[in-house]
Amino acid sequence: MTSSVATSEHETGSLRDRVMDLVRATEIDGRLLGMIVTLIGIEIGFGLYTGGSILSPVNLLTFATQAVQIAIIATGMVLVIVSRNIDLSVGSVLGVVAMTYAVLMHEVFPTTIGVDTPYGWLIALGAGLLIGIILGAIQGFLIAYMKIPSFVVTLGGLLAFRGLVFDISGGSTQAPDDTQFVVLGGGPLGSLGGTISWAFGAVIIVAIALYLYYNRRQRRRFGFPVRPMWAEVGIGVVGLLIVVGGVAISNAYHWPAGLIEQYAAQHGISPEGLVIEAGVPWPAVILLAVTLVMTFLATKRKFGRYVYAIGGNPEAAELGGINTRWTIMKIYILMGILCAISAAISSAQINGATNDLGNGYELLVISAAVIGGTSFAGGVGTIPGAVLGAIVIYALRYNLQYIGLPSNNQDIVIAVVLIAAVAFDTYSRRNAT
Amino acid sequence: MRKRLLAMATLTVLVFAACNSSGTGGSGAPGGTGAAGGGCLVGVSWNNYDQERWKKADEPAIKKAIEAGGGTYTSTDAHDASEQQNKDIDTLINKGVKVIILLAKDAASITPAVTKAEQAGIQIIGYDRLIEDEKALYITFNNKRVGTIMAQELLAVQPTGNYAIIKGDPGDANAKFLRDGMDEGGLKAAVDSGKVKIVGEQNTPNWDTTGAKNEMQAILNANNNKVDAVLSENDGMATGVSQALQAVGLNIPLSGQDGDAAALNRVALGQQTVSVWKNAFALGETAGNAAIQMCAGTKLADVKAPSDLPDASKPADLASHPFTTPGGKTVTSFILNPTPIKKDNLSAVIDSGWVTKDQVCAKVTPGSVTPC
Amino acid sequence: MSVQQQPEPRPPAAPPPGGAGAANVTPAAVAGGATAPLVEMRHISVAFGGVKAVDNVSIDVRPGEVVGLVGGNGAGKSTLMRSLSGAHKADSGEILIDGKPVTIANPRDAKNAGIETIYQTLALADNINAPANLFLGREILTGVGTLDDSAMEDATRKVMGRLNPNFKRFRSPVRNLSGGQRQSVAIARAVHFNAKVLIMDEPTAALGPAETEQVRELIRQLKSEGLGIFLVSHDIHDVIDLAERISVMYHGRLVGTVDKTDVTIDEVLGMIILGQPPDKLNREQIQSLR
Repeated sequence: MTSSVATSEHETGSLRDRVMDLVRATEIDGRLLGMIVTLIGIEIGFGLYTGGSILSPVNLLTFATQAVQIAIIATGMVLVIVSRNIDLSVGSVLGVVAMTYAVLMHEVFPTTIGVDTPYGWLIALGAGLLIGIILGAIQGFLIAYMKIPSFVVTLGGLLAFRGLVFDISGGSTQAPDDTQFVVLGGGPLGSLGGTISWAFGAVIIVAIALYLYYNRRQRRRFGFPVRPMWAEVGIGVVGLLIVVGGVAISNAYHWPAGLIEQYAAQHGISPEGLVIEAGVPWPAVILLAVTLVMTFLATKRKFGRYVYAIGGNPEAAELGGINTRWTIMKIYILMGILCAISAAISSAQINGATNDLGNGYELLVISAAVIGGTSFAGGVGTIPGAVLGAIVIYALRYNLQYIGLPSNNQDIVIAVVLIAAVAFDTYSRRNAT
Repeated sequence: MRKRLLAMATLTVLVFAACNSSGTGGSGAPGGTGAAGGGCLVGVSWNNYDQERWKKADEPAIKKAIEAGGGTYTSTDAHDASEQQNKDIDTLINKGVKVIILLAKDAASITPAVTKAEQAGIQIIGYDRLIEDEKALYITFNNKRVGTIMAQELLAVQPTGNYAIIKGDPGDANAKFLRDGMDEGGLKAAVDSGKVKIVGEQNTPNWDTTGAKNEMQAILNANNNKVDAVLSENDGMATGVSQALQAVGLNIPLSGQDGDAAALNRVALGQQTVSVWKNAFALGETAGNAAIQMCAGTKLADVKAPSDLPDASKPADLASHPFTTPGGKTVTSFILNPTPIKKDNLSAVIDSGWVTKDQVCAKVTPGSVTPC
Repeated sequence: MSVQQQPEPRPPAAPPPGGAGAANVTPAAVAGGATAPLVEMRHISVAFGGVKAVDNVSIDVRPGEVVGLVGGNGAGKSTLMRSLSGAHKADSGEILIDGKPVTIANPRDAKNAGIETIYQTLALADNINAPANLFLGREILTGVGTLDDSAMEDATRKVMGRLNPNFKRFRSPVRNLSGGQRQSVAIARAVHFNAKVLIMDEPTAALGPAETEQVRELIRQLKSEGLGIFLVSHDIHDVIDLAERISVMYHGRLVGTVDKTDVTIDEVLGMIILGQPPDKLNREQIQSLR
């Protein structure tokens, strides 16, 4: 995976060793780097196949946005699997919450507070979040305090909550949502727009710089070894390039002709020569926020430390005086919250809720976590890895759809990637020490 | 240990008692066939009860027709899993049903269970979806015709240009019928003459809404949004497709079927051209009525459709007709006609009680279409 | 836990709490009963199902003393110690610390009472690093409530500098460490939090000769600092070498507690194998053990 990096020939030592040394000095997770290289490889491969057309901004934005629902839940699934549990109910919990949003906006609000009120969508979001928390807490309680295996509890959840979807919907598709809510789904109308996207990017760049500085200062404070300065600056520059690149790609996607005409007609101006930059889609902003918060919880809070300790050695965690049961229950409550966030995006993307919304998500979410390096043995897995895992799945799925491969054969390709990722993981771990 | 065994035994007895009371309640002695199918137990095996129409129309209509004939209704749901449906058939056999109304998840894999049921002396009605079996009665809408209507309606408003086709589950025979029907409705001719170009065609596993949306996005992007019409094989997928279209500012002809409230609302809003509606009340009534006739010993060829069906759906002369399956078998069948619902006949579907005016007219400018 | 509580190297021979002038007493004098017990377990019973794993056992340890707890497999010594470390609650009996009765229902209670345990399994989470293991359940937090990994690493570096100066892998998951290094992490965790009482369950079972000697040296050092140590071991030489008193268990019962200077190795072996106190054993029985 690293052999593609070129270094000059006359340097001594094997190329592989030198590259590994460089990577090690930056203290970057090799697994994550591998995923990014894989993703770039996929895009280059399809780019060559399609003569470059697949690398246009709209294609990159589309699959990234499609992956968001799965990626958001996968960040929590990492913690579930790390703690040696499983959650099969995610698709059904998502279904219940999405249907709650849609029923509120489609059936309840029209006869109460009215449709498209400025606050209606927030009430819906709050209600959905509450339901997600309740469903998560029920499952978490049964698993953590009643000691019923999570596989059984969440399998029950998978069935029962899907049944609940029909009770809430009365069996029919509920559409449409409030117009403000639909923005959460992304697309040209659900994006930040050109200027705000740049401002957003600038905020992130400042945050990266502050984070790097704080970390370095923290290590200096105790006199620990720090990264070489070139690595520190290098990481900062790479971060800068990624952010600038991401915003530039998002802004390079312009509103399609149909929308421009609608916009021009509404504002009484000529559509001729009118160009509007779409910018960063809202789902991407939400995913970024979720990833940061979840990574923070997993690595900087006691909660995350305990989750990993439980996964590494449940007995040791118990003997360490950790309240393991409450920790497990919290993981499932968190899953409920993540499902509710994901449900908002899912529902917004189809502007309503069908009874099958979220069907089969459990396997996609688990696949994303596993491709991202989460191990079923427990204790191992990273949140950014799972997010990348989801993006890899959807990059493949989308690109295969784009070139018109039949759906069954798309499944075959994705299955091969899933198994290859785990095989690579197993192989590299065996050779690690 | 002993306590647990006792508890389990008690539970088992209770479960049996519950099954019995719901299964044969109200019927006379098992096996006794009195006048007009008296005591006839009819089992319905749903492939996936999770769709709006079964609960709303088919089931009440079937139940009503069965009970009107003095029979009893029972049902199972396979939750969209063909292997579960095989088990469901076993359950119905064990319950002692006389007729099974079967909504098959998968035509091929249900065959062993069907054979087993027939060996047990049970008659089968293939409901809405074909099963390859000459001894069964096949009651359905003209599914091919649904596709034909979709193509005709879209070609009428968009005779030329780029077409995208979002098909249903690759394992569902219906998806293929619909596609064939589209060709018969003039799509093939239009493609052959070069007027229409198919720029994207995908199957959607499980007829999934989000999946259909994702497929549509891929097709739009692959063609720089130069798509002029979309043939979606049902309304659920049309929901996803419509959202993908709106997101890029397209409002182009779009088809669907099932008469979903959300789709009829789109028709009223002008975001969908047609939803082909299969009057499921009529289908259910035909099946329930036929089951009672079969119970009473009427020969398959002599079974008649009920005379009070709505005219739009009614088969000619109420008689059954031989139908040649894709597998080359000849099956006795009632083929009902689907109804295209467009902007101009929305009132019909509201009047039937299928949907309410509120559902159809949500967010519609009052007066812009007839019922709103 | 705040940053200020970073451990300093323990001053040699810290005065044990409650023990008047015990700092300068020799181990022999301590064993002679000059000081009050640090921990007393009285009439402890633990049953699993119908089986009494520990049956009415009373033992104690004094400051600056090592009490060896020996017995065959299934004698109940680990179970007895688990009820003191909070891993398993005793069914009956009482535990006194500095003469006051305490309730130990879980590991947290034990730790709050100053009782630390080094388990035979080490009880380390293999997937996290040494500082994270050392502070597991007692993390140092920053002012805003986040984990202060730097402070924990710093504290770990200090305590390891004392216990195992060769230890360098502070950021590697402990699964990548050698058996001896893992052992030193487990010991560091026990001694870092100013324990009064240390339970060591087979501390040398998985170690090579050099590492074993290192652990023995450590036990002597901790003893001289005034800790009370329960040493669970099947290695009779370890016990004879390190302990002042020896408590022998047999099928869940306490055979007896003897002063090391009063008995021979053979007599202790007799107690372990035959379950009889030395005065009830005759010469032939002991001879038969050879």
